[in-house]
Amino acid sequence: MIPGIGALQFKPEVGGADAATGLIPGGAAPLAGEGIASSFADALSQTVGKTIGTLQNAEQMSIQALKGDADTREVVDAVMSAQQSLQTAVAIRDKIVSAYLEVSRMAI
Amino acid sequence: MEPVNLFGLAAKQAEWLAVRQSSIAGNIANANTPGYTATDVLPFEKVLDHTAVSLRATQSGHLGSGATEAGYAIRPQDYTGAIMPSKNTVVVENELLKAGEVRRSFELNTAIVKAFHSMMMSVAKG
Amino acid sequence: MDALTAALKVAASGLGAQSERLRVVSENLANAQSTGTSPGADPYRRKTISFVSELDRSSGTSLVSVGSIDRDRSDFPVEFQPGNEAADAKGYVKMPNVNTLIEMADMQEANRSYEANLQVIKQARELISMTIDLMRS
Repeated sequence: MIPGIGALQFKPEVGGADAATGLIPGGAAPLAGEGIASSFADALSQTVGKTIGTLQNAEQMSIQALKGDADTREVVDAVMSAQQSLQTAVAIRDKIVSAYLEVSRMAI
Repeated sequence: MEPVNLFGLAAKQAEWLAVRQSSIAGNIANANTPGYTATDVLPFEKVLDHTAVSLRATQSGHLGSGATEAGYAIRPQDYTGAIMPSKNTVVVENELLKAGEVRRSFELNTAIVKAFHSMMMSVAKG
Repeated sequence: MDALTAALKVAASGLGAQSERLRVVSENLANAQSTGTSPGADPYRRKTISFVSELDRSSGTSLVSVGSIDRDRSDFPVEFQPGNEAADAKGYVKMPNVNTLIEMADMQEANRSYEANLQVIKQARELISMTIDLMRS
């Protein structure tokens, strides 16, 4: 799942998009690529870390652009990748929330 | 240095660009007025450097002293061309070039604000 | 008044001033051959226009307006046209002191300035529109 997200951020990683289909609560999707997370929580915090990283980069580039000394294309690229990773993170968050609700509604 | 707020900085730059646009408009409108001196605003970096200082005191009455609500002083532009008999220092081509710069910066500014605004909105949604 | 609206105001004053200038130029051109009606009478005297700028407090810009429309004080050229009703005793007619080439050049300048002011209005309007668009999703 994590390399799949990485693949969406301009960097094609081992594992590609197929790994992204493995979002099963408690399921263990085969993880490949950098830093194999040992648990779901770790994988999640990796994602969040990456998202925050791209967001901060985009903010920095934008501030430089507003001050007048940044390459336009770089700024646009940075902002777009931030938008992509944020969108992904929000989608994951929504999925997790709805999965949790579904689990909590299961008859014991 | 304290963290710079992106939206705040963008708002400041948009204001500065608007003031610059009004100075360019004044120059072009007065391109044939005898004795008129072309004006321009302080560069944006200088504005950021002394945000707290009001620059009103440097402006005398005969120059356009308006649009300084935010302290973006409009002052006479440095002129290195030939002195016209009419003492008018406006070069319309340069003003149009400046106007093009203003437009590009403004487009980038609004695009950045729009992008970050929609990101914030998407996070806050359901 | 915010700066972009101020830009619109001053550019509009520029349009007004330049169209006055164009009006004077076209009057001069139209009357370039208008001699007097009686012998020895003066012909059409060329008009000149000058602008003034005054600081407008509400917008903080220097609005431009027509200062005055004067007459060119230079001498009338004379032509030999004994048949003309304005010919004096020796057959010379005083012609208007309008130089067509100068008027044409002035007209081009006025057009250029008019276009530049129009460009400013267009851009200021677009910047305002871009700002409002930020609110649209």
